Amino acid sequence: MTGPRIALAVLWKDIRLDLRTRDRLGHMAVFSALVVVLLSIALPTPTAETRPWLPVLLWVVLLFASLLGLTRSLQTETEEGALAVLTLAPCDRGWVFLGKGAANLIALLGIEVWTAGLFSVFLGLAWGPALPEAIWAGLLGGVGLAALGTMLTTMATSARFREFLLPVLLFPLALPVLVIASRATAEALDGRSVPGLWWGALALYDWVFVVIPYLTFDYLLED
Amino acid sequence: MEKRIVRVGHWFGALALLGLGLWTVLVISAPPERIQGVVQKILYVHVPCVPPAYLGFILTAIGGLGYLRTRRAAWDRLALAGAEVGIVFCTLIVVSGPIWAKAVWGHWWVWDLRLTMTLVLWFLYVAYLFIRALAFGSDTARTFAAVYGIAGTAVIPFVHYAVRLAGGSAMHPSTPASGGTLPASMAYPLLAGLGTFLLVFLYLLTRRFEVAGLESRLLEAGGSSEDH
Repeated sequence: MTGPRIALAVLWKDIRLDLRTRDRLGHMAVFSALVVVLLSIALPTPTAETRPWLPVLLWVVLLFASLLGLTRSLQTETEEGALAVLTLAPCDRGWVFLGKGAANLIALLGIEVWTAGLFSVFLGLAWGPALPEAIWAGLLGGVGLAALGTMLTTMATSARFREFLLPVLLFPLALPVLVIASRATAEALDGRSVPGLWWGALALYDWVFVVIPYLTFDYLLED
Repeated sequence: MEKRIVRVGHWFGALALLGLGLWTVLVISAPPERIQGVVQKILYVHVPCVPPAYLGFILTAIGGLGYLRTRRAAWDRLALAGAEVGIVFCTLIVVSGPIWAKAVWGHWWVWDLRLTMTLVLWFLYVAYLFIRALAFGSDTARTFAAVYGIAGTAVIPFVHYAVRLAGGSAMHPSTPASGGTLPASMAYPLLAGLGTFLLVFLYLLTRRFEVAGLESRLLEAGGSSEDH
Protein backbone atom coordinates (compact mmCIF):
# COMPACT_ATOMS: atom_id res chain seq x y z
CA MET A 1 0.00 0.00 0.00
CA THR A 2 1.44 3.32 -0.95
CA GLY A 3 1.56 6.42 1.21
CA PRO A 4 -1.24 8.39 -0.45
CA ARG A 5 -3.56 5.40 -0.21
CA ILE A 6 -2.85 5.09 3.51
CA ALA A 7 -3.49 8.81 3.98
CA LEU A 8 -6.80 8.43 2.19
CA ALA A 9 -7.66 5.36 4.29
CA VAL A 10 -6.98 7.30 7.52
CA LEU A 11 -9.01 10.24 6.22
CA TRP A 12 -11.93 8.05 5.20
CA LYS A 13 -11.85 6.23 8.53
CA ASP A 14 -12.03 9.51 10.44
CA ILE A 15 -14.81 10.89 8.27
CA ARG A 16 -16.87 7.74 8.79
CA LEU A 17 -16.19 7.86 12.51
CA ASP A 18 -17.32 11.50 12.63
CA LEU A 19 -20.47 10.77 10.69
CA ARG A 20 -21.29 7.67 12.69
CA THR A 21 -20.76 8.96 16.22
CA ARG A 22 -21.31 12.68 15.55
CA ASP A 23 -19.59 13.22 18.91
CA ARG A 24 -16.92 15.54 17.74
CA LEU A 25 -18.87 17.64 15.26
CA GLY A 26 -21.78 17.84 17.69
CA HIS A 27 -19.59 19.12 20.51
CA MET A 28 -17.90 21.68 18.32
CA ALA A 29 -21.19 22.89 16.80
CA VAL A 30 -22.94 23.25 20.15
CA PHE A 31 -19.92 24.96 21.66
CA SER A 32 -19.67 27.58 18.92
CA ALA A 33 -23.45 28.12 18.96
CA LEU A 34 -23.32 28.74 22.72
CA VAL A 35 -20.46 31.20 22.45
CA VAL A 36 -22.06 33.10 19.56
CA VAL A 37 -25.38 33.37 21.38
CA LEU A 38 -23.55 34.50 24.49
CA LEU A 39 -21.69 37.14 22.46
CA SER A 40 -24.87 38.34 20.78
CA ILE A 41 -26.52 38.84 24.18
CA ALA A 42 -23.53 40.37 25.94
CA LEU A 43 -22.17 42.61 23.18
CA PRO A 44 -23.66 46.03 22.58
CA THR A 45 -25.09 46.54 19.09
CA PRO A 46 -22.08 46.71 16.77
CA THR A 47 -21.28 50.19 15.55
CA ALA A 48 -19.05 51.19 12.66
CA GLU A 49 -16.18 51.33 15.12
CA THR A 50 -16.70 47.97 16.75
CA ARG A 51 -17.74 46.06 13.63
CA PRO A 52 -14.10 45.17 12.70
CA TRP A 53 -13.91 43.27 16.01
CA LEU A 54 -16.43 40.72 14.83
CA PRO A 55 -14.09 38.79 12.47
CA VAL A 56 -11.53 38.59 15.27
CA LEU A 57 -14.18 37.20 17.63
CA LEU A 58 -15.20 34.77 14.90
CA TRP A 59 -11.67 33.44 14.61
CA VAL A 60 -11.23 33.21 18.35
CA VAL A 61 -14.43 31.15 18.57
CA LEU A 62 -13.08 28.94 15.77
CA LEU A 63 -9.78 28.51 17.58
CA PHE A 64 -11.50 27.34 20.76
CA ALA A 65 -13.92 25.11 18.86
CA SER A 66 -11.00 23.54 17.00
CA LEU A 67 -9.32 22.83 20.33
CA LEU A 68 -12.35 20.83 21.41
CA GLY A 69 -12.43 18.84 18.20
CA LEU A 70 -8.70 18.22 18.13
CA THR A 71 -8.56 16.82 21.63
CA ARG A 72 -11.36 14.45 20.71
CA SER A 73 -9.77 13.35 17.44
CA LEU A 74 -6.74 11.74 19.04
CA GLN A 75 -8.59 10.59 22.13
CA THR A 76 -10.50 8.07 20.05
CA GLU A 77 -7.22 6.74 18.71
CA THR A 78 -5.65 6.28 22.12
CA GLU A 79 -8.75 4.96 23.89
CA GLU A 80 -9.08 1.97 21.62
CA GLY A 81 -5.35 1.48 21.22
CA ALA A 82 -5.70 2.39 17.56
CA LEU A 83 -2.68 4.67 17.67
CA ALA A 84 -0.41 1.65 18.02
CA VAL A 85 -1.95 0.20 14.86
CA LEU A 86 -1.52 3.48 13.01
CA THR A 87 2.19 3.44 13.80
CA LEU A 88 2.42 0.06 12.07
CA ALA A 89 1.25 1.52 8.76
CA PRO A 90 3.75 0.30 6.15
CA CYS A 91 4.67 3.73 4.84
CA ASP A 92 6.30 6.98 5.78
CA ARG A 93 4.30 8.12 8.80
CA GLY A 94 4.06 11.59 7.35
CA TRP A 95 1.20 10.17 5.32
CA VAL A 96 -0.67 9.23 8.49
CA PHE A 97 -0.29 12.86 9.55
CA LEU A 98 -1.68 14.05 6.21
CA GLY A 99 -4.67 11.74 6.59
CA LYS A 100 -5.42 12.84 10.16
CA GLY A 101 -4.77 16.48 9.28
CA ALA A 102 -7.14 16.33 6.31
CA ALA A 103 -9.87 14.80 8.50
CA ASN A 104 -9.38 17.57 11.06
CA LEU A 105 -9.46 20.14 8.27
CA ILE A 106 -12.77 18.86 6.95
CA ALA A 107 -14.31 18.95 10.43
CA LEU A 108 -12.93 22.43 10.97
CA LEU A 109 -14.22 23.72 7.63
CA GLY A 110 -17.67 22.42 8.54
CA ILE A 111 -17.51 24.30 11.84
CA GLU A 112 -16.27 27.42 10.06
CA VAL A 113 -19.30 27.44 7.76
CA TRP A 114 -21.60 26.80 10.72
CA THR A 115 -20.04 29.54 12.87
CA ALA A 116 -19.95 32.04 9.99
CA GLY A 117 -23.68 31.38 9.53
CA LEU A 118 -24.32 31.90 13.23
CA PHE A 119 -22.41 35.17 13.15
CA SER A 120 -24.56 36.44 10.30
CA VAL A 121 -27.79 35.39 12.05
CA PHE A 122 -27.01 36.57 15.57
CA LEU A 123 -24.48 39.34 15.05
CA GLY A 124 -25.51 40.63 11.65
CA LEU A 125 -22.33 39.92 9.69
CA ALA A 126 -23.24 40.37 6.02
CA TRP A 127 -21.09 37.99 4.02
CA GLY A 128 -22.57 38.80 0.55
CA PRO A 129 -19.84 40.32 -1.64
CA ALA A 130 -17.10 39.38 0.83
CA LEU A 131 -17.78 35.69 0.37
CA PRO A 132 -15.03 34.72 -2.13
CA GLU A 133 -12.26 36.26 -0.03
CA ALA A 134 -13.80 35.06 3.21
CA ILE A 135 -13.74 31.54 1.77
CA TRP A 136 -10.04 31.92 1.03
CA ALA A 137 -9.41 33.15 4.56
CA GLY A 138 -11.39 30.23 5.96
CA LEU A 139 -9.60 27.72 3.78
CA LEU A 140 -6.05 28.95 4.40
CA GLY A 141 -6.69 29.65 8.08
CA GLY A 142 -8.33 26.25 8.41
CA VAL A 143 -5.34 24.46 6.89
CA GLY A 144 -3.03 26.24 9.33
CA LEU A 145 -5.11 25.44 12.38
CA ALA A 146 -5.69 21.83 11.32
CA ALA A 147 -2.00 21.19 10.58
CA LEU A 148 -0.77 22.81 13.79
CA GLY A 149 -3.50 21.17 15.81
CA THR A 150 -2.84 17.70 14.45
CA MET A 151 0.86 17.97 15.21
CA LEU A 152 0.35 19.36 18.70
CA THR A 153 -2.42 16.95 19.77
CA THR A 154 -0.11 14.12 18.87
CA MET A 155 2.41 15.62 21.27
CA ALA A 156 -0.06 16.46 24.00
CA THR A 157 -1.99 13.24 23.89
CA SER A 158 0.56 11.20 25.75
CA ALA A 159 1.20 13.89 28.34
CA ARG A 160 -0.38 14.44 31.68
CA PHE A 161 -2.85 17.37 31.80
CA ARG A 162 -3.27 17.28 28.03
CA GLU A 163 -6.37 19.51 28.14
CA PHE A 164 -4.19 22.16 29.68
CA LEU A 165 -1.11 21.50 27.59
CA LEU A 166 -2.77 21.71 24.17
CA PRO A 167 -3.89 25.36 24.38
CA VAL A 168 -0.56 26.39 25.86
CA LEU A 169 1.21 24.78 22.91
CA LEU A 170 -1.26 25.85 20.25
CA PHE A 171 -1.93 29.52 20.99
CA PRO A 172 1.53 31.02 20.39
CA LEU A 173 1.95 29.01 17.19
CA ALA A 174 -1.58 29.78 16.00
CA LEU A 175 -1.14 33.52 16.47
CA PRO A 176 -0.01 34.30 12.90
CA VAL A 177 -2.91 32.27 11.45
CA LEU A 178 -5.39 33.98 13.71
CA VAL A 179 -4.13 37.49 13.01
CA ILE A 180 -3.74 37.18 9.25
CA ALA A 181 -6.98 35.25 8.69
CA SER A 182 -9.07 37.58 10.86
CA ARG A 183 -7.51 40.65 9.25
CA ALA A 184 -8.22 39.28 5.79
CA THR A 185 -11.81 38.49 6.80
CA ALA A 186 -12.22 42.02 8.18
CA GLU A 187 -10.84 43.59 5.01
CA ALA A 188 -13.14 41.50 2.83
CA LEU A 189 -16.18 42.40 4.96
CA ASP A 190 -15.24 46.05 4.64
CA GLY A 191 -15.32 45.73 0.87
CA ARG A 192 -11.59 46.22 0.43
CA SER A 193 -9.47 43.78 -1.48
CA VAL A 194 -7.06 41.72 0.58
CA PRO A 195 -3.38 42.33 -0.29
CA GLY A 196 -1.77 39.39 -2.07
CA LEU A 197 1.10 39.44 0.41
CA TRP A 198 -1.26 38.42 3.21
CA TRP A 199 -2.43 35.41 1.28
CA GLY A 200 1.17 34.60 0.44
CA ALA A 201 2.25 34.79 4.08
CA LEU A 202 -0.67 32.67 5.24
CA ALA A 203 -0.10 30.07 2.52
CA LEU A 204 3.62 29.93 3.34
CA TYR A 205 2.83 29.48 7.02
CA ASP A 206 0.45 26.64 6.18
CA TRP A 207 3.11 25.08 4.01
CA VAL A 208 5.73 25.27 6.78
CA PHE A 209 3.38 23.64 9.27
CA VAL A 210 2.37 20.91 6.89
CA VAL A 211 6.00 20.14 6.06
CA ILE A 212 7.40 20.22 9.64
CA PRO A 213 4.93 17.63 11.01
CA TYR A 214 5.12 15.62 7.78
CA LEU A 215 8.87 15.27 8.26
CA THR A 216 8.81 14.78 12.02
CA PHE A 217 5.66 12.69 12.46
CA ASP A 218 7.85 9.62 12.40
CA TYR A 219 9.47 10.79 15.64
CA LEU A 220 6.17 11.87 17.18
CA LEU A 221 4.44 8.53 16.68
CA GLU A 222 7.47 6.47 17.50
CA ASP A 223 7.46 7.24 21.23
CA MET B 1 33.83 17.19 25.73
CA GLU B 2 31.12 17.69 28.34
CA LYS B 3 33.71 17.95 31.10
CA ARG B 4 35.53 20.61 29.15
CA ILE B 5 32.33 22.61 28.75
CA VAL B 6 31.78 22.45 32.50
CA ARG B 7 35.34 23.57 33.19
CA VAL B 8 35.06 26.49 30.76
CA GLY B 9 31.78 27.36 32.48
CA HIS B 10 33.59 28.10 35.73
CA TRP B 11 35.79 30.59 33.92
CA PHE B 12 32.71 32.27 32.52
CA GLY B 13 31.40 32.50 36.07
CA ALA B 14 34.56 34.13 37.37
CA LEU B 15 34.66 36.62 34.49
CA ALA B 16 30.95 37.35 34.89
CA LEU B 17 31.52 38.18 38.55
CA LEU B 18 34.23 40.66 37.62
CA GLY B 19 32.04 42.07 34.85
CA LEU B 20 29.09 42.50 37.23
CA GLY B 21 31.26 44.51 39.59
CA LEU B 22 32.46 46.79 36.82
CA TRP B 23 28.97 47.12 35.35
CA THR B 24 27.47 48.07 38.74
CA VAL B 25 30.07 50.79 39.27
CA LEU B 26 29.54 52.16 35.74
CA VAL B 27 25.74 52.13 36.05
CA ILE B 28 25.82 53.94 39.40
CA SER B 29 28.29 56.53 38.17
CA ALA B 30 26.51 57.14 34.84
CA PRO B 31 24.74 60.52 34.84
CA PRO B 32 20.92 60.44 34.90
CA GLU B 33 19.40 61.20 31.52
CA ARG B 34 18.26 64.81 31.14
CA ILE B 35 14.59 64.16 30.32
CA GLN B 36 13.90 60.62 31.57
CA GLY B 37 15.84 60.93 34.78
CA VAL B 38 17.01 57.96 36.78
CA VAL B 39 14.48 55.57 35.23
CA GLN B 40 16.58 55.56 32.06
CA LYS B 41 19.09 53.38 33.92
CA ILE B 42 16.68 50.47 33.52
CA LEU B 43 17.96 50.30 29.95
CA TYR B 44 21.34 49.16 31.26
CA VAL B 45 19.51 46.00 32.34
CA HIS B 46 16.86 45.80 29.64
CA VAL B 47 19.03 46.07 26.54
CA PRO B 48 21.83 43.68 27.59
CA CYS B 49 19.21 40.97 28.23
CA VAL B 50 18.24 40.86 24.55
CA PRO B 51 21.23 39.03 22.98
CA PRO B 52 21.31 36.27 25.65
CA ALA B 53 17.57 35.63 25.29
CA TYR B 54 17.82 35.26 21.51
CA LEU B 55 20.98 33.21 21.79
CA GLY B 56 19.25 30.84 24.22
CA PHE B 57 16.33 30.28 21.87
CA ILE B 58 18.62 29.73 18.89
CA LEU B 59 20.54 27.14 20.90
CA THR B 60 17.23 25.43 21.69
CA ALA B 61 16.51 24.98 18.00
CA ILE B 62 20.08 23.86 17.26
CA GLY B 63 19.98 21.40 20.17
CA GLY B 64 16.62 20.08 19.01
CA LEU B 65 17.86 19.51 15.46
CA GLY B 66 20.99 17.83 16.77
CA TYR B 67 18.96 15.59 19.05
CA LEU B 68 16.57 14.49 16.30
CA ARG B 69 19.49 13.68 14.01
CA THR B 70 21.82 11.93 16.43
CA ARG B 71 19.61 11.00 19.39
CA ARG B 72 22.44 12.00 21.68
CA ALA B 73 21.24 13.27 25.03
CA ALA B 74 23.89 16.00 25.13
CA TRP B 75 22.11 17.86 22.32
CA ASP B 76 18.89 17.68 24.24
CA ARG B 77 20.60 19.06 27.34
CA LEU B 78 21.89 21.96 25.27
CA ALA B 79 18.36 22.65 24.02
CA LEU B 80 16.95 22.53 27.55
CA ALA B 81 19.67 24.76 28.97
CA GLY B 82 19.20 27.25 26.11
CA ALA B 83 15.45 27.45 26.64
CA GLU B 84 15.58 27.77 30.42
CA VAL B 85 18.33 30.36 30.54
CA GLY B 86 16.82 32.17 27.53
CA ILE B 87 13.51 32.39 29.41
CA VAL B 88 15.25 33.94 32.41
CA PHE B 89 16.60 36.76 30.26
CA CYS B 90 13.38 37.06 28.28
CA THR B 91 11.47 37.44 31.58
CA LEU B 92 13.86 40.20 32.60
CA ILE B 93 13.18 41.98 29.29
CA VAL B 94 9.42 41.63 29.65
CA VAL B 95 9.45 42.82 33.27
CA SER B 96 11.99 45.65 33.02
CA GLY B 97 10.49 47.09 29.81
CA PRO B 98 7.09 48.05 31.26
CA ILE B 99 8.67 49.64 34.34
CA TRP B 100 10.57 51.98 32.05
CA ALA B 101 7.56 52.40 29.75
CA LYS B 102 5.23 53.42 32.59
CA ALA B 103 7.58 56.23 33.52
CA VAL B 104 8.40 57.39 30.00
CA TRP B 105 5.35 56.55 27.87
CA GLY B 106 2.81 56.67 30.67
CA HIS B 107 1.59 53.14 29.96
CA TRP B 108 2.73 49.80 31.25
CA TRP B 109 2.08 48.14 27.94
CA VAL B 110 1.38 49.33 24.42
CA TRP B 111 0.46 47.45 21.29
CA ASP B 112 3.93 47.59 19.84
CA LEU B 113 5.70 45.28 17.45
CA ARG B 114 8.69 44.48 19.61
CA LEU B 115 6.78 44.23 22.87
CA THR B 116 4.27 41.83 21.41
CA MET B 117 6.94 39.76 19.69
CA THR B 118 8.90 39.40 22.90
CA LEU B 119 5.80 38.38 24.81
CA VAL B 120 4.88 35.79 22.20
CA LEU B 121 8.44 34.43 22.33
CA TRP B 122 8.14 34.18 26.09
CA PHE B 123 4.91 32.20 25.77
CA LEU B 124 6.45 29.95 23.13
CA TYR B 125 9.34 28.92 25.30
CA VAL B 126 7.23 28.62 28.43
CA ALA B 127 5.13 26.17 26.40
CA TYR B 128 8.36 24.42 25.44
CA LEU B 129 9.26 23.97 29.10
CA PHE B 130 5.73 22.75 29.82
CA ILE B 131 6.14 19.94 27.29
CA ARG B 132 9.28 18.87 29.06
CA ALA B 133 7.69 19.09 32.47
CA LEU B 134 4.42 17.38 31.67
CA ALA B 135 5.42 14.72 29.15
CA PHE B 136 7.19 12.27 31.39
CA GLY B 137 10.73 13.70 31.25
CA SER B 138 11.53 10.81 28.97
CA ASP B 139 12.65 10.22 25.39
CA THR B 140 9.12 11.13 24.32
CA ALA B 141 9.37 14.50 26.00
CA ARG B 142 12.78 15.08 24.42
CA THR B 143 11.49 14.31 20.94
CA PHE B 144 8.35 16.43 21.31
CA ALA B 145 10.31 19.28 22.80
CA ALA B 146 12.82 19.11 19.93
CA VAL B 147 10.04 19.33 17.34
CA TYR B 148 8.35 22.16 19.24
CA GLY B 149 11.64 24.03 19.62
CA ILE B 150 12.23 23.84 15.86
CA ALA B 151 8.64 24.85 15.12
CA GLY B 152 9.02 27.75 17.56
CA THR B 153 11.94 29.12 15.60
CA ALA B 154 10.10 28.74 12.32
CA VAL B 155 7.20 30.75 13.70
CA ILE B 156 9.21 33.85 14.66
CA PRO B 157 9.28 35.66 11.27
CA PHE B 158 5.57 34.99 10.80
CA VAL B 159 4.66 36.40 14.21
CA HIS B 160 6.73 39.43 13.34
CA TYR B 161 4.84 39.87 10.08
CA ALA B 162 1.44 39.25 11.68
CA VAL B 163 1.98 41.78 14.43
CA ARG B 164 3.15 44.37 11.90
CA LEU B 165 0.10 43.63 9.82
CA ALA B 166 -2.18 44.11 12.79
CA GLY B 167 -0.91 47.65 13.03
CA GLY B 168 1.50 47.20 15.89
CA SER B 169 2.86 50.70 16.36
CA ALA B 170 6.55 51.35 16.43
CA MET B 171 6.75 53.14 19.75
CA HIS B 172 9.71 51.12 20.86
CA PRO B 173 12.94 52.99 20.09
CA SER B 174 14.54 51.12 17.21
CA THR B 175 18.07 51.63 18.46
CA PRO B 176 17.60 52.17 22.18
CA ALA B 177 21.25 53.02 22.55
CA SER B 178 20.84 55.70 19.85
CA GLY B 179 23.97 54.45 18.15
CA GLY B 180 26.93 56.77 18.14
CA THR B 181 25.14 59.71 19.74
CA LEU B 182 25.32 58.15 23.18
CA PRO B 183 27.89 59.91 25.39
CA ALA B 184 30.70 57.73 26.68
CA SER B 185 29.43 57.89 30.27
CA MET B 186 26.25 56.13 29.10
CA ALA B 187 27.75 53.94 26.38
CA TYR B 188 30.26 52.28 28.72
CA PRO B 189 27.73 50.90 31.21
CA LEU B 190 25.66 49.67 28.29
CA LEU B 191 28.61 47.96 26.63
CA ALA B 192 29.76 46.54 29.98
CA GLY B 193 26.22 45.25 30.48
CA LEU B 194 26.15 43.61 27.05
CA GLY B 195 29.43 41.81 27.69
CA THR B 196 28.66 40.89 31.29
CA PHE B 197 25.17 39.57 30.64
CA LEU B 198 26.55 37.43 27.86
CA LEU B 199 29.08 35.99 30.32
CA VAL B 200 26.35 35.42 32.90
CA PHE B 201 24.32 33.69 30.19
CA LEU B 202 27.22 31.42 29.24
CA TYR B 203 27.87 30.61 32.89
CA LEU B 204 24.22 29.75 33.59
CA LEU B 205 24.02 27.79 30.34
CA THR B 206 27.00 25.62 31.17
CA ARG B 207 25.80 25.08 34.74
CA ARG B 208 22.32 24.08 33.56
CA PHE B 209 23.93 21.80 31.01
CA GLU B 210 25.98 20.22 33.77
CA VAL B 211 22.99 19.80 36.10
CA ALA B 212 20.94 18.20 33.30
CA GLY B 213 23.79 15.73 32.80
CA LEU B 214 23.84 14.92 36.52
CA GLU B 215 20.06 14.46 36.52
CA SER B 216 20.20 11.95 33.72
CA ARG B 217 23.04 10.09 35.42
CA LEU B 218 20.95 9.92 38.57
CA LEU B 219 18.04 8.50 36.58
CA GLU B 220 20.28 5.94 34.93
CA ALA B 221 21.61 4.94 38.33
CA GLY B 222 18.07 3.94 39.27
CA GLY B 223 17.06 7.09 41.08
CA SER B 224 13.33 7.51 41.50
CA SER B 225 13.16 11.21 40.76
CA GLU B 226 10.88 10.49 37.81
CA ASP B 227 8.12 9.23 40.06
CA HIS B 228 7.11 12.58 41.46
